[in-house]
Amino acid sequence: MYIQTVVFSEPKAGSAPEEWEDGALAGVSFSPARPGQAPSQVRYVVADGATGGYASRQWVNQLVTCFAPDNPALGPKLERASMHSWLEWMQDLWAENPPVTLDVIDKLRFEQVGSFATFLGFELSGLDGPDPWWQAVALGDSVLFHVRAGRLLAVFPPLGPDDFNSDPDGVHSKPSRLNWMSDHLLLGHGVLVPGDLLFAATDAMAHWITRAVIRDAAKTWTTLSEMVHPAIFTRFVQDHRRADSDAEAMKNDDVTLMRLRILAGQPSYLLVCL
Amino acid sequence: MYDRVITRNEPGCVVFLLDRSDSMKQAWHGGPETMAEGAAAVLNEILLDLCLMAQKEPGRALHYFDIGIFGYGLRSVAGGEGVESAFGGSLQGQALVPLPVLRANPLAVQQVSSVDPVAPSSRVPVWVQPVHGYRTPMCQAIAVAGGHVYDWTAAHPDSFPPIVINITDGMVTDNPYEGADLGEWAKRLTSIQTSDGSALLFNVFLSPTGENGKLFPASDHGLPEPGPDLFRISSPLPPPMCANAAKAGVYIESGARGLGFNADHPMLAKFLEIGTRVVVGN
Repeated sequence: MYIQTVVFSEPKAGSAPEEWEDGALAGVSFSPARPGQAPSQVRYVVADGATGGYASRQWVNQLVTCFAPDNPALGPKLERASMHSWLEWMQDLWAENPPVTLDVIDKLRFEQVGSFATFLGFELSGLDGPDPWWQAVALGDSVLFHVRAGRLLAVFPPLGPDDFNSDPDGVHSKPSRLNWMSDHLLLGHGVLVPGDLLFAATDAMAHWITRAVIRDAAKTWTTLSEMVHPAIFTRFVQDHRRADSDAEAMKNDDVTLMRLRILAGQPSYLLVCL
Repeated sequence: MYDRVITRNEPGCVVFLLDRSDSMKQAWHGGPETMAEGAAAVLNEILLDLCLMAQKEPGRALHYFDIGIFGYGLRSVAGGEGVESAFGGSLQGQALVPLPVLRANPLAVQQVSSVDPVAPSSRVPVWVQPVHGYRTPMCQAIAVAGGHVYDWTAAHPDSFPPIVINITDGMVTDNPYEGADLGEWAKRLTSIQTSDGSALLFNVFLSPTGENGKLFPASDHGLPEPGPDLFRISSPLPPPMCANAAKAGVYIESGARGLGFNADHPMLAKFLEIGTRVVVGN
């Protein structure tokens, strides 16, 4: 089985592309190397750094690269105990190697405010067998949508349109939050078949999707599954930020949408967007 | 109105008027610090909060605000009584300072012990020093602030309206000033507008023996002098600040105004936090 992956991103209106404080990493192999064969286990992650946090982009970068490292032995297993150890390691690593601390205000912000990001990590396994599946861990309102034949099978974490707010759960750099994070970590899983789509989205897009599927699910999944060029995605986001209707409007926030298409065989073409 | 989001393209403006009259040398609520020391300390804390809020990357704050601080009473630079910029060091004499510039130019860095006895002390920047002397030329202070606010709104016609916060312990001593009384100067200030509303004037009154402190009253009933005068010149609290107050656990009645009366140190800190916190975008 093969995975066709696309990641779209768009910074807040008024912000430069390099100010995008989300993070995403897709398609990191977590299975033993088998020359000439596709990996059987692949890892993905999206995270959304809090604007009010210290050095959010660096914190997000640490989280996504350490969740899906090149060496699978260094990544956590998607179970509570392993994730607890990994979260603790993330905090220790951050404390030992903070971004360059320049002055007294940086130090205060680092110590008092800390860093924070919502987090969704997931893994596809059994891709070389008859019953592939996904499993995921999450803290906060970055969301995985599992779609089959135009029908929404699962939303993980199970958030509805009214569940998004300005104070989500997430991964915090403060050690005092470690046990709280472990307790609130959510774990989920689902079975995959060829043709399935998975969408991973940070909160602005996820919130929009939860409302859009209520209005017109078929149109929503068609729109999102057929989007191919980053410029189209940018226009899509900008149009919805300007929407008059609250129901159709998208919050002006950094946006990330990762789309995975589960294929029975190798794709017949390679599309490169320039 | 008052729903504009603060962004780098449409920054906000916060002006503090700090009473530096002689009476500010008195102990604040019988505590170890004078009102001048306490007011300067809380003002430095709120300036630090604004810098922290505006910092996205290490080492720099984004230009979300222009900040002014004007002392009235003793003029520590020019000497004598009057109104002058309270900024010191490399910012001395400047009227409105962009937040990134403020962040980069503290007057000093001080060691501050934590309220938690087992926690280590912190080093914090300060921008304002406590000084006191002479009388209380509050009308002139509002007039000076009005001039700068007027120029600022001309340059930022679509921003969230300027916020002017007056911290005082005294009876105004220059009323009338240039033919206009305190109420008229306040009216002139609050008639300055952006497309999002009129400039806001908030007042907070400190006293050495204050009791029954009040935050954001909806009437002047029961307020001793100069409470009624300060109530009359204080702007109604707009919805974003009402929401801030609710988040901070402060009950707000309909018709509440931006007035704190007989405030102690925690009340002044809460007042400034509620009065300066607006929605920030990008």
